[in-house]
Amino acid sequence: MTIHKLNPKLDLVLERVVDVPPALVWEAWTKPEHLRHWFTPKPWTVKHCEVDLRPGGTFRTIMGGPAGEEHDVAGCYLEVVPQKRLIWTDALLPGYRPSANPFFTAIVELEPSGKGTRYTATAIHRDEEGRKKHEEMGFHQGWGTVLDQLLEYAKKL
Amino acid sequence: MAAAAHTIDSVFRALADPTRRLVLERLVHGPESVSGLAAPFDMALPSFVEHLRVLEDCGLVNSSKTGRVRTYQLVPKRLREAEDWLAKQRHLWERRLDQLDAYLLEMKERRK
Repeated sequence: MTIHKLNPKLDLVLERVVDVPPALVWEAWTKPEHLRHWFTPKPWTVKHCEVDLRPGGTFRTIMGGPAGEEHDVAGCYLEVVPQKRLIWTDALLPGYRPSANPFFTAIVELEPSGKGTRYTATAIHRDEEGRKKHEEMGFHQGWGTVLDQLLEYAKKL
Repeated sequence: MAAAAHTIDSVFRALADPTRRLVLERLVHGPESVSGLAAPFDMALPSFVEHLRVLEDCGLVNSSKTGRVRTYQLVPKRLREAEDWLAKQRHLWERRLDQLDAYLLEMKERRK
């Protein structure tokens, strides 16, 4: 079924089991009024969220940082199978137009597990160059200054 | 790979606490005894020692005992691992999904 091959140096797979039925988990992933509550790790927040839930349809979030910075991520859905599978990417803009800075494709798969749901989130990333670009954009979601300074120190040791 | 991910998660959990970050910053300047590390903090010693234990368990620091004095020092390798790009992405997703799972339980509660 799966066509994607994972590269352990670039890609991530996270699996969770929640005591909530698949219908609710699907809703949380696909409705802006829900996404805004959890999609961005604190202290960042979701300032704007657009969803047009069909292949080629918009998935856009504008995230706001604690210092007033903004990060706008726009892409489109590639596959929408209600309560089973959701795939989107920032490599294609809404309407499948190729984007300037492609970085990731994300796959969320759900399946019933007892009365709850087992879901898997897979993030497929671009190569080393894409990573660098992403970092240069200053995308340090949720990373405190103190920690950054600490890591700077550690590099010198 | 799963085991490595687990370890790096414990590093991020350890780094999430301000007391533990301050201890690490102190150790950047060199090894220090438990009492030396504890001095700036207004905290009961057992609670402080617990923070040191968390740091040691995830490998960010190690300690050695001479006589009755236990001395801690930084393990830079661990911190460098935490800087790894993929580990950061993983941490971001972990936190995102933690928020999702908490939110899902709220949703379920509201609809009862």
